[in-house]
Amino acid sequence: MKLLVNLLKLPTFVFSVGLLLLTIFLALLGPFFYPIDVISKVGPPYMAPNAEHLLGTDNLGVDMVSLLIAGLRSSLYVGLFAGIIATAVGTFLGVYAGFKGGWIDDLINMVTNLFLVIPTFVVLILISASLTEGRSLELIGIIIGCTTWTWTTRSVRAQASSLKARDHIALARVNGAGTLKLAMLHILPYLLSYVFMVFIIQVATGVAMEATISMIGLGPFDTVSLGIILESAMNNDALNDGIWWAFIPATVLLTVIVFSLYTLNTSMETVFNPRLRK
Amino acid sequence: MLKKYPTTRYILRSGGWYFLTFLVAISVNFVLPRLGKANPVDIIIAKHGAGKTQHAIQVKEEGYLKEFGLVKLDPDGAIVRDADGKPVRSSLWSQYVSYLGMCLRGDLGTSFMNYPKKVSEIVIEAVAWDFALQLPAIILGWLLGNILGALAAYKRGVFDYLFFPLSLLVCSIPFFAFGMLLKYQFGIVWPIFPTTGGYASNIHYSFSWEFFSNASYYYFLPFMSIFPVLLGGYAIGMRSMGIYELGTDYIRYASYLGIKENRIISYVFRNAMLPQLTGVALNLGNMIGGALIAEIIFSYPGLGTTILKAIQGQDYTLIQGTALLVAIMIIAANFTVDIVIAIFDPRVKAGMAGA
Amino acid sequence: MQGYHVEKRGCGIKKCLKSIIRYKGLIKYSKVIYNNYIIMIKTDRLLNKPESNKKGKKMKEIKRYSVLFTACLCLVFPGCTKKKGGAVDITSFPREKTMYLAGVQWGDPTTFNPLDQNPSFPVWFPSNLMYEHLVIHNTLTNKIDPLLARLHSQTDSVISFVLNPAARWSDNTPLTSIDVKFSYEIGKRYEDAPYGYIWDYIDSITVDTIAEGEGKAERVNFYIGKEEDNPLAILDVMIQTVIMPSHIMEAKIKECNNDFSKLLQDKMDKDPVVSGPYTLYVYSNEKVVCKRRDDYWGVAVLYQNRLPKPEFIIHPIYKSNEHASIALQKGELDFSSDYMPRIWMKAKAGVRTWYSSAPYFVPAVIPMITINCTRYPLNDKAFRRAMAFAINYKNVNELAFDGYSPDVKPGIILPFGIEKAYYAEEDVQRHGPAYNPEMAKKLLADAGYTSVLDKEGKLDYMINWKGERIPTLYIKVPTGWSDFEAMVKLVTKDLRAAGIDVREGACDESLYYQSQMVGDFDLFMDTPAGTLSPSLPWSRFQSIMSARNWRPVGERMTENFGRYNNPEEPGYNTTVDSLLRIIPALSDEAEKIQAYRALNVIFMQDQPTLPLVYRPEYFFEFSIKGWTNFPTEENPYAPPQSPCFGAGRNILWEITLKK
Repeated sequence: MKLLVNLLKLPTFVFSVGLLLLTIFLALLGPFFYPIDVISKVGPPYMAPNAEHLLGTDNLGVDMVSLLIAGLRSSLYVGLFAGIIATAVGTFLGVYAGFKGGWIDDLINMVTNLFLVIPTFVVLILISASLTEGRSLELIGIIIGCTTWTWTTRSVRAQASSLKARDHIALARVNGAGTLKLAMLHILPYLLSYVFMVFIIQVATGVAMEATISMIGLGPFDTVSLGIILESAMNNDALNDGIWWAFIPATVLLTVIVFSLYTLNTSMETVFNPRLRK
Repeated sequence: MLKKYPTTRYILRSGGWYFLTFLVAISVNFVLPRLGKANPVDIIIAKHGAGKTQHAIQVKEEGYLKEFGLVKLDPDGAIVRDADGKPVRSSLWSQYVSYLGMCLRGDLGTSFMNYPKKVSEIVIEAVAWDFALQLPAIILGWLLGNILGALAAYKRGVFDYLFFPLSLLVCSIPFFAFGMLLKYQFGIVWPIFPTTGGYASNIHYSFSWEFFSNASYYYFLPFMSIFPVLLGGYAIGMRSMGIYELGTDYIRYASYLGIKENRIISYVFRNAMLPQLTGVALNLGNMIGGALIAEIIFSYPGLGTTILKAIQGQDYTLIQGTALLVAIMIIAANFTVDIVIAIFDPRVKAGMAGA
Repeated sequence: MQGYHVEKRGCGIKKCLKSIIRYKGLIKYSKVIYNNYIIMIKTDRLLNKPESNKKGKKMKEIKRYSVLFTACLCLVFPGCTKKKGGAVDITSFPREKTMYLAGVQWGDPTTFNPLDQNPSFPVWFPSNLMYEHLVIHNTLTNKIDPLLARLHSQTDSVISFVLNPAARWSDNTPLTSIDVKFSYEIGKRYEDAPYGYIWDYIDSITVDTIAEGEGKAERVNFYIGKEEDNPLAILDVMIQTVIMPSHIMEAKIKECNNDFSKLLQDKMDKDPVVSGPYTLYVYSNEKVVCKRRDDYWGVAVLYQNRLPKPEFIIHPIYKSNEHASIALQKGELDFSSDYMPRIWMKAKAGVRTWYSSAPYFVPAVIPMITINCTRYPLNDKAFRRAMAFAINYKNVNELAFDGYSPDVKPGIILPFGIEKAYYAEEDVQRHGPAYNPEMAKKLLADAGYTSVLDKEGKLDYMINWKGERIPTLYIKVPTGWSDFEAMVKLVTKDLRAAGIDVREGACDESLYYQSQMVGDFDLFMDTPAGTLSPSLPWSRFQSIMSARNWRPVGERMTENFGRYNNPEEPGYNTTVDSLLRIIPALSDEAEKIQAYRALNVIFMQDQPTLPLVYRPEYFFEFSIKGWTNFPTEENPYAPPQSPCFGAGRNILWEITLKK
């Protein structure tokens, strides 16, 4: 597509996509090149990096590289899950609110405010307490998705309401198109590019929130994620003793993921919004 | 009747919805903790009851249940019992009614976990630190962020190329990690700044210069752990809005007209500022307990860890009380921003008049 | 004309054009009005300096906001000036007069009322800085040391203490048997007062006088309850019961109209009347400060006219363990009772422990995995024993506990220290499980369990001899308790490797506590009998194996959460409960040894819990940067206890300032 060609002309786009693809490959294909073993003890706890284990071991003697790759997968998975949910819910509500206007708009606005006000952690603990399997990655993804859609709704609503005033909408309405058809055929296509960029931001938010939630101690049970790696490093006082390999690599990976997603978003912005070009 | 005053109408309508949100939020905050399987009285008993006789535990439990209004009382104040002799728990509805009554009186109740401290006491003791840490960071971040973002939008070029990725990078580093790295580098490796507490252990609160200067010394690292991220966030937002506005038709027209440059810029930023205000509202609203991460990393005083412990320990009253305050703050902040927008944004007036 | 432009004034249509022309091309014109004509004279070129103007605009905004900001600060900071405690004239505490200790108080201080069941430091019951106990249990010598009283005699029917006639309260009233009786009888008057359960073990308290030295002294006699006949439990409670000033407390009770819950609302934080060497000075959510009482009664009679060295004891309240660790290494903290990983790495920062090499600490309690003996297949002895054989105890110690535990032996009697006499190596060799995964598999196979493996050779599930599938078992552990979590992770790994289908069941703290008493678990990680008391090791057996108050799952039990040894079942072992009943009353040492050995053997055969490591009750680490001469293995003048507990209090008299 012409769009893709345009995008590829941008150095920032290439850079960010490259970075993102690198992390995804590491997560998905890593197990084929490197034996992932998050269970066995391969050395003393917090063994320093050496030739055999490039990033040393954690506090239980497990190989750090395996943990990082496994954790990367989980974090990306949660981010994607949360991003999809948040974008879907947010877009639907935003389009509906922006397009309809009136009291429906106010109602959806109120619901958005409600979700802002409800404390996330309470919900997280409650729901995880009532399930026997406790907190799984999916549950955390769902909860993050259900609490971060508010931003999407606001942004999409703003766009949708500005689109509402356009002529082709009025024409379509005169022709007798119902609301849903109007929304699907006439508004959404214009919004798609915007929604896609919003989706990228939501994925980034999902990954970052998963890390934060895990570090507070409300992370997923019995799984490894980047946030869990950071949490165990913090709980075992690793950084303060100079055990940097327990902490820094996971931080770097998280930063890289979020940074590449943000940069991707801005580079796409430049293409979709010509005014942003030089 | 109010058609002549679109701004007032807007404010009233907006206020009405916010009030409704507030009511629903109160109810949700009441119901949520009680949906949990765990019961705070059971938890307290389990924590402190090992080794006691059955009877002692029963008396202790009933004392707590009575104190917190979780059981039905007959007119004499004694506990109503059922056929087995077990106390009859009061219904959710009566608890809700008494909760509303207490809220209206301003009495937020007594905390389960920190018995006999009252919730209002707990909040007042710690909330000043939350505000002191976050308010300057938010305001300074907003101001500086807007300035830098506007500069980047206007100048583009090298400044933009350097500044923009840098602020993106700062925003991408996980909050926790940033704080911990700061603490490690500037507190332990190079012991320049203190890493623990809000003020030195060998001084006590006083309204003196010595206390304030000491507290400011301890303030620096926690402040620096939240300030750059806020700054980066606002700068990026401002930059995008600024670039967008600078490219609009009316700005181009104004420049063709020959209007003075700085007047044009003032138009641009006045319009770009409005979405930024909504961002500030959110951050301001989340100030209570919002510095949780800084508190954990730097052992800084504040409400965040108290709230987290309350949630983990199912402390109904403390969760309700703090959630109520957070709800009030968020709604108040949003409402204020809505009013400000209504006054300054003519599109709102036009929308109201036309509707 | 170049340079200026003239037009007639008052041409309304052209008004807007005027302003445009005026700034045309960004050239500034000065407007001069002369006789109805407006003359525009070109002045200077306005250079494109948006920044300066923008700066000006921003300066205005900044000024506006900074005023707002300072206003906010002025509103905010007065909140910090809340002062608590008594009149405070010192707001800065000199380092050389202060001892900083941590690890006792977690969370905000709530109340200092000794009748509350969980008061803050230093009123919390093991502490004797403010309110004291009758006697102290010296955990190093296993003797009962005197404090407010001394142990006079112990017979089969009565334990007697002689009060020290020199004991006084801080308001100079003497401490008498009235205070003692009040403190013990408050549990009778109000059922939910603490320590009321001593009345399950004593029948009555009487007071008489005997000759002491050159005068008289009061003797308090505790008559051992005939039904329970358990002097050990009595001593346990006595070590914990603080003596409260009856004249103060009775007045308060009267004020509250005998309403106990109202009495509990009194925080008693302003100039409390105490008997101990320190009193509460000032406190906040960040620390508790105690000040030395120079008129402490024990200075002359207990400490040879010496005062304790620190004038202030400050307990900073940290939000997590790592801050205590950092402060200890910096020398800002003198003593901590927290778990600190890799303590050997901190030695160069001046941090020391009781032993200068592994295990660094003196263990006293045993964290273990409690098994719910009512659930299938955990009710099968062979299954439990197989689990005990499958765990790599050395690994657990090294990885989850930093090697702080000596080698763990089977059974629940510590093979050293106070309990050494009751430990028998041959019993352990004959009955005790040790790490042996092959043996575990053999036991399982013999009992009819088969482990079904999946394609990759990993454990999938188990079936019994009937072919029924056995449900997965979960070990409950609270999230955030990192040392327990690490232990459970390792144990799960070992068990699965031996073919036992167990998984980690992390849960939130609230659920963890809630499920213990009612038996809603498969297995959970806990430390029963987690305090050092004179009744060890009896209390450990009691809290794990006693079936006296056996209740089915769903009803509350206060000990033996695993519901071992159901009296209703046919396999009920009466020996356990009868041994538990008679041991406390035994005075013959040889009989005691026999009884304990028998109990330990039953434990090893039935394996109702899985002991994992040995752990101290509280950790004992200190910094030599501020104060020196803390007790250690080489210099054991006091037990390895926090200077605010028990006989550890003597540390305060012996430490010296580092020069």
